[in-house]
Amino acid sequence: MKRIALFSIILLAVSGIIKAQDSIVTIQNYDKNDLKISGELLTDERFLLKDKNDWAWNENRLTLKLDKKITDNSKFYSEVWLRNIGLPNLSTSADLYNKGIVDPYNLEIREGYVQMFSFLTKNLDLKIGRQLIIWGTADKLNPTDNLNPYDLENILDFGRHRASDAINMNYYFNSDFSLQGVYIPFFKPANMPVGIFANALNPATELPQGMVLKEYSDNLLMPKYNLAESAVAGGKFKGMVKGVDFSLSYVWGRDGLPFSTKNTFTPVDTLGGININSQLSFARTHIIGADLATSIAGIGFWTEAAAFIPEKDVVMTNDLSVLFPLSPVPVTKDTMLLDKTKPYIKFVVGGDYNFKDGSYLNIQYLHGFIQERGNENLNDYFFLRYEKKFFNEKLTIAPIGGAFIVTDWNKIKNNYAIAYIPQVSYQATDDVEITLAAGLFDGKGDNMFANLKDYNMFMFKLKYCF
Amino acid sequence: MKNSKIQTAVLTVLITVGSIFSANAQDANTILKKMDDVMYSPKDMTGKQKIILTDKNGKQETREATMQQKGTDKRMFRFTSPASLAGIAVLSLPNDIMYLYLPAFGKERRIATSAKNQNFAGTDFSYDDMESKAYSEKYIPKLLKTEANVFVIELTPKSKSDYSKIIVNMNKTNYYPESMEYYDKGGNKIKEAKYTVKKVSNYWNAELVEMTDLKKNHKTKMQMYDVKYDTGLTDDDFTIRKLKE
Repeated sequence: MKRIALFSIILLAVSGIIKAQDSIVTIQNYDKNDLKISGELLTDERFLLKDKNDWAWNENRLTLKLDKKITDNSKFYSEVWLRNIGLPNLSTSADLYNKGIVDPYNLEIREGYVQMFSFLTKNLDLKIGRQLIIWGTADKLNPTDNLNPYDLENILDFGRHRASDAINMNYYFNSDFSLQGVYIPFFKPANMPVGIFANALNPATELPQGMVLKEYSDNLLMPKYNLAESAVAGGKFKGMVKGVDFSLSYVWGRDGLPFSTKNTFTPVDTLGGININSQLSFARTHIIGADLATSIAGIGFWTEAAAFIPEKDVVMTNDLSVLFPLSPVPVTKDTMLLDKTKPYIKFVVGGDYNFKDGSYLNIQYLHGFIQERGNENLNDYFFLRYEKKFFNEKLTIAPIGGAFIVTDWNKIKNNYAIAYIPQVSYQATDDVEITLAAGLFDGKGDNMFANLKDYNMFMFKLKYCF
Repeated sequence: MKNSKIQTAVLTVLITVGSIFSANAQDANTILKKMDDVMYSPKDMTGKQKIILTDKNGKQETREATMQQKGTDKRMFRFTSPASLAGIAVLSLPNDIMYLYLPAFGKERRIATSAKNQNFAGTDFSYDDMESKAYSEKYIPKLLKTEANVFVIELTPKSKSDYSKIIVNMNKTNYYPESMEYYDKGGNKIKEAKYTVKKVSNYWNAELVEMTDLKKNHKTKMQMYDVKYDTGLTDDDFTIRKLKE
């Protein structure tokens, strides 16, 4: 038995070497000019509609994409962002000596991977490196898309993710069915919104009566960097039966947004002023997902759902001991944030239709936005977009676009939000597109879009592709 | 000798009349079937396309793409230029199943079949026009007349269509269409297509199709080049795996 096992290993190794030699031969034969360089220049400017029209967003981004065929069965791809983002935040003369403050910019490797088709066997594709692994059939809002961390920097770019360093394998049983396996060695959390959107995802802090928050600080408890604790892994079985595309997926992941698991209260004055220090951690979570997409009577239809099951109960402990100095025991109050026996399910249902006059309608209903966790905290979002193209698709007008959100159906008058985002895009040349849009927000209660109601804005984008 | 001359003359007349009668005798269904055979006889096809759009002011835009096709119901179309479209690909499979791949989104997207209501990628061709389904499956033919070089056939859609009828001028020699005129439900001519054909590897190939939208006064020239037939494409070349490559 041992001999058979040893023989199998040797055979595998030899076949790997032969494959590698094949690749070397092909590398020698490949056309050196086969490096494709493409990209885009984007300027994204927004200003507020109120008062003196403060700038709300300033982003100038050069995207550079390199695509190189290595052999007939392999390729390299990378995408880099060089950006000037944000507005200069100058406060002292010392800042004038720092070009990074005077003219803020950053460099981001969005993707960089090698992909090998028919690796070891005809039906296996392998992708190694920094990559985006996008799951789900819905448009932009995908409850099953949980391998890459969210990139929440621009909160209006729903569903944007950052790439992860990963090993990604796809095995194709035939043209209809495939199995995907992904291993990401280092968990990375979501990055939070910036600029005026910074607090859009933060829920209002509720303090006991009489307390006033003076200062807040926190510590992030990151998982240890080892093969298991920091790792994220996932698998997906995908197929098509009778014209319906479907997939079933599982992710052994971590919630990319931290939970506050311990809050320590410290009084700082006699008027009820307190400081809070929080410990934040990222809960290990099992995520079971499913999606499908099809077209019925001309209407595109999709649905997607994911059940989130925390590995352990997520409990928030408020340590109030300092407030009760005479107590012989620590005074704490525990609140269950997530019960491991009660999975919460986020889902989305949507459809779209192309009309004969060139117009297009897209509707989605989402239960549970990116930052919402726990069944009782999942809200309802209705998204709608209607657009029509004119002048041979050069001009696209989307007079209706936005969302309606309800956070409490029983008290809807005080728990709703409306986001209205009309848009006009003009394809000035083959490669230049200019977009004008407005973002108008209103609402009541504690929800993301209601939090933006003071930030109605006008948006201008110019994109040049090369 | 005289009798022999008379016999020859009679025979010639008989053959001539016979062949004319034979041509006329070909019913519309047979003629349309022959057109389908000529247009869709290759097992597979690989080629490149140059698409030139001309607006009413004469301003031109050029797009380039690669195309692969197997049989009449599997097709992969991928833009290679301009940069704003490069990489966008459409996979068409039997039973109106279509996928769109947008590199910016990094995943395939199932397209609603209502997309066929609209023009293909800003051209004057509808998805229906681009479809390579046999005409005899989609239309009921009627032979209107036979001219010196062409059969004039009227096609009436068997099922729901943008057109009330299509008038086809079909070459009598090679059975390839020379032109097509498209009529809307009100009976108005709305589009016309002109075909320039060339023989490539024993197959007739439309190396240039010029479609004019008469309402918009907009024109699309679709040039095919580097065309190869029967290269052995398999079903595996028409999958989402290939779409995303």
